Amino acid sequence: MSPDYLLSILKPMLEGAKATILLFVIAIVASIPLGFLLTLAVNSKFKPLSWLANTYIYLMRGTPLLLQLLFFVFGLPLIPVIGEYLVMDRFAAAALAFVLNYAAYFAEIFRGGLLSIDKGQYEAAQVLGLNKWQTTTRIVIPQMIRIALPALANESVTLVKDTALLYAVAVPELLHFAQTAVNRDFTIVPFVMAGLIYLLITAVLTLVFKWLERRFHYV
Amino acid sequence: MALIDVVDMKKSFGDIEVLKQITFQVEKNEVVAVIGPSGSGKSTMLRSLAHLEEIEGGTIRIDGEALVADGVYASTPEIRKIGRRIGMVFQHFNLFPHLTVKQNLALAPKLVKGEAKEKLASRITELLSKVGLADKVDAYPANLSGGQKQRVAIARALMMEPEILLFDEPTSALDPELTGEVLEVMKKLAEENMTMIVVTHEMSFAKDVATKALFMADGQIVEEGIPAVMLTNPTQNRTKAFLARTLG
Repeated sequence: MSPDYLLSILKPMLEGAKATILLFVIAIVASIPLGFLLTLAVNSKFKPLSWLANTYIYLMRGTPLLLQLLFFVFGLPLIPVIGEYLVMDRFAAAALAFVLNYAAYFAEIFRGGLLSIDKGQYEAAQVLGLNKWQTTTRIVIPQMIRIALPALANESVTLVKDTALLYAVAVPELLHFAQTAVNRDFTIVPFVMAGLIYLLITAVLTLVFKWLERRFHYV
Repeated sequence: MALIDVVDMKKSFGDIEVLKQITFQVEKNEVVAVIGPSGSGKSTMLRSLAHLEEIEGGTIRIDGEALVADGVYASTPEIRKIGRRIGMVFQHFNLFPHLTVKQNLALAPKLVKGEAKEKLASRITELLSKVGLADKVDAYPANLSGGQKQRVAIARALMMEPEILLFDEPTSALDPELTGEVLEVMKKLAEENMTMIVVTHEMSFAKDVATKALFMADGQIVEEGIPAVMLTNPTQNRTKAFLARTLG
């Protein structure tokens, strides 16, 4: 296996890794706040909103991500009448599916975090005169993040690997280029390299979360 | 006019009447010890004054301003305004675990009153020295003992400069050897004429520091009087029975 060959397949694979990382970043950045809003909706005293959010989470967690991907990329344009307005760039449609799916998982993680905050925290904030917004942003969210971090880290690692599902909707990413090289050159080396690149990404991610956990550590 | 005026306070949890028409007054500078068996409604009564519970009937006036009048609550801004005059110390301290001692103390005055940094800093130093914890200013609650946490909680409540301080079993969660340091701070506050209502099982505190004692049982105030007199010569049988049990 010549270094030249390795370099020649590495280049398109790194190109593919860019799509992988881009999807990951979009999904994380959009689905975490969306997930938190969903948690608030679930906990809302306005029952229809809570019911709607619960149904949404049930749908998103109860069906395969792959099905959702296919639905958004290939299914939406087939809807009668409005379908033609729902044609998106495949990457954009896939990213949307990831965001909507992961938001549901993050919502459940945040809900768990909220449940573990002692009711005395809210009471102390109230008697000190803090309003709802101040209590949420200064007392609740920082404690919730700290509790949710390990689960968030876990879910993020899963997300990195789930980006490989882009392969199924023909958006070129890391795995796509590996597979192409395997088919073309009859060698498993590209698979091994793809595996190493995924490991590298998850290693960096793990370090970032370790750092975050240290930063939010207060016990 | 009494600083706290409670008339016919009523509250139920489901079918259980926890407060049955409670009426009492607290004058400015008074220190009231509320004693009684668990489940007698002491904590619910106290929490209702801080608006942590809503009562179903009756009137609560703070310095003449009605928090509730005949079961009807004031407007939200009015409730907040009245709430600013009342501070509370909890059994389980309820310090904010993600903030240092200094941040715990600074948070509310900064957010609620918009107080300037310099004023905050000097007040934090002053209050932490008062509760004997000047050296813990940068510690996190997790690194404090129970007694230290409760003293920080008292300082945090004082930061808002309340006129009334409510204590809900402030030493009940503490190891016996740590109750003294908290009671010492409370005694100091009493000597500075802070108006206080203290739900407590510490009979010696009630006797030595309080100016008035309330004995509650079954959602009612059974007996009310000067602590030294009431605790040694109770007139009601229920008070006698309770004191016989607790004092052993």
